[in-house]
Amino acid sequence: METSNKVTMSSYRKHILAQLQERKKEESAAFQDLISFCNHLFEGVDILRAQNVQLTVQKERLQQENLDVQARESGTGKSNEKTMTLEKKVYQLQEELTELHRRKGEHTQQLIDLRNMLEEKEKELSSKISRLQDTEAALSALRLACKNLEQTIIEQESANQILKDEYEALQLAFSSLEQKHQKLEKDHSDLITRWMAHKAKDADRLNAENERVVRVKQAQLQKELEEAAKEPVVVKGDYLKSAPVCIAASVPNKMLFKFDAHDGEVNAVKWSPSGKTVVTGGGDRKLKLWDIGQKEAVLKGTLTGSNAAVMSVDFETEETLVVGASNDFASRVWTVDDLRLRHTLTGHSGKVLAAKFLGEFSKVVSGSHDRTLKIWDLRSRSCIRTIFAGSSCNDLVTSDGSGTNIISGHFDKRIRFWDTRSESSANEILLQGKITSLDLSPDGFYLLSCVRDDTLKLLDLRMNQVIRTFCADGFKVGCDWTRAKFSPDGQYITVGSQDGVLFIWNCSSARVEKTLKEHNTIITACSWNPSGQYIISVDKNKKAIVWTDI
Amino acid sequence: MAEDREVMREVWDGRLPVCFRLSVEEVNTVQQPDPFYLMVPRLTYFPLVTDKVQRHFSRHISEPDQGAEMWLDYDGQPIKWHYPVGLLFDLYGLGSQLPWNLTVHFKNFPEEELVHCPSRAAIESHFMATIKEADFLKHRGMVISAMQKKDHNQLWLGLQNDKFDQFWAINRKLMEHTNDELFKYIPYRLYQPDMPYIQRLVRPLSEKGENTTLLDLLHVSLPKFSKEDILDNVQIVAHGIKPPMDTPLQWMSEHLSYPDNFLHLCIHQT
Repeated sequence: METSNKVTMSSYRKHILAQLQERKKEESAAFQDLISFCNHLFEGVDILRAQNVQLTVQKERLQQENLDVQARESGTGKSNEKTMTLEKKVYQLQEELTELHRRKGEHTQQLIDLRNMLEEKEKELSSKISRLQDTEAALSALRLACKNLEQTIIEQESANQILKDEYEALQLAFSSLEQKHQKLEKDHSDLITRWMAHKAKDADRLNAENERVVRVKQAQLQKELEEAAKEPVVVKGDYLKSAPVCIAASVPNKMLFKFDAHDGEVNAVKWSPSGKTVVTGGGDRKLKLWDIGQKEAVLKGTLTGSNAAVMSVDFETEETLVVGASNDFASRVWTVDDLRLRHTLTGHSGKVLAAKFLGEFSKVVSGSHDRTLKIWDLRSRSCIRTIFAGSSCNDLVTSDGSGTNIISGHFDKRIRFWDTRSESSANEILLQGKITSLDLSPDGFYLLSCVRDDTLKLLDLRMNQVIRTFCADGFKVGCDWTRAKFSPDGQYITVGSQDGVLFIWNCSSARVEKTLKEHNTIITACSWNPSGQYIISVDKNKKAIVWTDI
Repeated sequence: MAEDREVMREVWDGRLPVCFRLSVEEVNTVQQPDPFYLMVPRLTYFPLVTDKVQRHFSRHISEPDQGAEMWLDYDGQPIKWHYPVGLLFDLYGLGSQLPWNLTVHFKNFPEEELVHCPSRAAIESHFMATIKEADFLKHRGMVISAMQKKDHNQLWLGLQNDKFDQFWAINRKLMEHTNDELFKYIPYRLYQPDMPYIQRLVRPLSEKGENTTLLDLLHVSLPKFSKEDILDNVQIVAHGIKPPMDTPLQWMSEHLSYPDNFLHLCIHQT
């Protein structure tokens, strides 16, 4: 097929080729050079433009330089040489200048660095100063605390000292007791052997003797009775009148009157058993006897002789003698009638807080801050007995007529019971605070104690137990010798508070029956009239007030 | 093939002198821009060669149009970028004076007549799509689908960089007819100004076993005309030449196809 078409094929091919070549000649060849030349021209124009711009810039610069040069030349010089040297100089100077600039730059950098360092240091310094101040403040605070603590230590040490003293005294008492005890033990064994030997003999003798004595006594009694029946009976009328009998105490509700009892504080007050006279003891070292009327108190007499404040007063049951305990370590006894100082009982080595007649009129018992109780015989004017109580005694009472039982209230929160016939303490009861006063109920079964924890405790002596506690809002025990008292019928108790209010409680219900406010300062003591219709109270600022309900 | 190579070389080397002028309405500077001259290969597409043109004129247009897409027109006729340059000249500019004067526009893109050309990748995809279409007509797509991606790349780069050997090393496989078996159909397009192009299925051999010629092709494509009318009145232009009517289609397709493997023929009636 190819060969057959060869001729024709070559003819059309030749034709086409010829046309293509013709076309090339027509379309391309004619324009090829022209257009490439044109493009060359375009590029040439672009290049020349760029060169032109460059040259313009260069020209501008050169012109500027030229201007500068001209300006310089016209300013300075005529001779070219001079200019040259000057230019050289200028060049040198310029070099120096750049060098200096460089150095300046370095110095500035150094300066900046140094300044930064300085700032840092200053910051550090200020932080240290603030820390120092803080520390100083803390130090001063700590010093203050230290001072406070030292003060506390001193206080504690003083307290400790007191306790130590008490302890030593106790130790002393204990050793003396121990010695006595040993001696007694020996005596006791001796006696027992002797006693055992005599026992049988004694028993026989005693039986015979008893029989005889009984017979004699009976015969004597018979004879006395017969004699007594023969004698006429005379009754003293005024005695009957004067001995008040209290059927029922009445609660006072108003002040009858008030008067200035002493200069300064009044520490103790006591109504006489007959109810006519009141004795007061005060800080002015005096005891005063007052007649209490309906409107006023009349000073009956002043008992002097004490050298320090009088802390406690007591009447003898017959009203012939008054005893006063004083802070001058002594107790004194006066006669009421002639107001004369009869006895001065010295021997305590501390303040005497309480002194009471002990049963029969010839004996006095006193309690002191030297941690002892002493029993005095007025006939021999001597101390017949010293009881080592172990702690400062604030008040004491004698619990029966025979004067064998003594109850004392102490600084160490204890109430101690003593029997004068035996050596040692019979019993003791610990309460919650210092005991400031003690009082026995009229029937002798109950003991009232005023305690420094602002309460009153009622103890049943038959059980030796606290059976009632009295307290009230606003009631505060004012001092270590605040005295609380039973009413004569034992139904009420009364005591004065720190703020001058007199509290009266019902004894059986423990309710506050009455509060009486008239005093302006701490009430130290109070006393019921034996008739049960009056109360007298005294305070630390001269005043004594008589209260009644009539 | 040496002779064939000569023809192919001539076809490949075909260049047109083109003069670009900026549309007068769009000149934004006092100085009128110089026209830009370029020798444009006939086988390439305009967007591949007009970068310089765009840069040249962009100095003279108004600020807001700087980034706008450039488009061309000849004598009021917008130029389609997806037709090869030679075809466009044959279709619109034949007979006009050389160089070919084109007007450059940046404004008023004729949306209805032209397709936008966003990038070179768009031209490449259009080019490859046309090659694939041609191969489907010729070999049922067997050859093109057997090629690798790098071969496709080589075809494109050969065209883009105007490298004849690089292009034909691959294109040869597309143009070969193995074992004397001719193309199944001839890929061609028949253009007339202001009309859509005509494309029919034409075999390189007639039913009688004879080689079909350009005349047969026109006869099939233009049923209105008899063969005599065609010989008298119709002129076919391709690559700026008028091939004889008795040229066999197989040979034409092998030698006178554009790089997209199509015969782009223009009809000019006399």
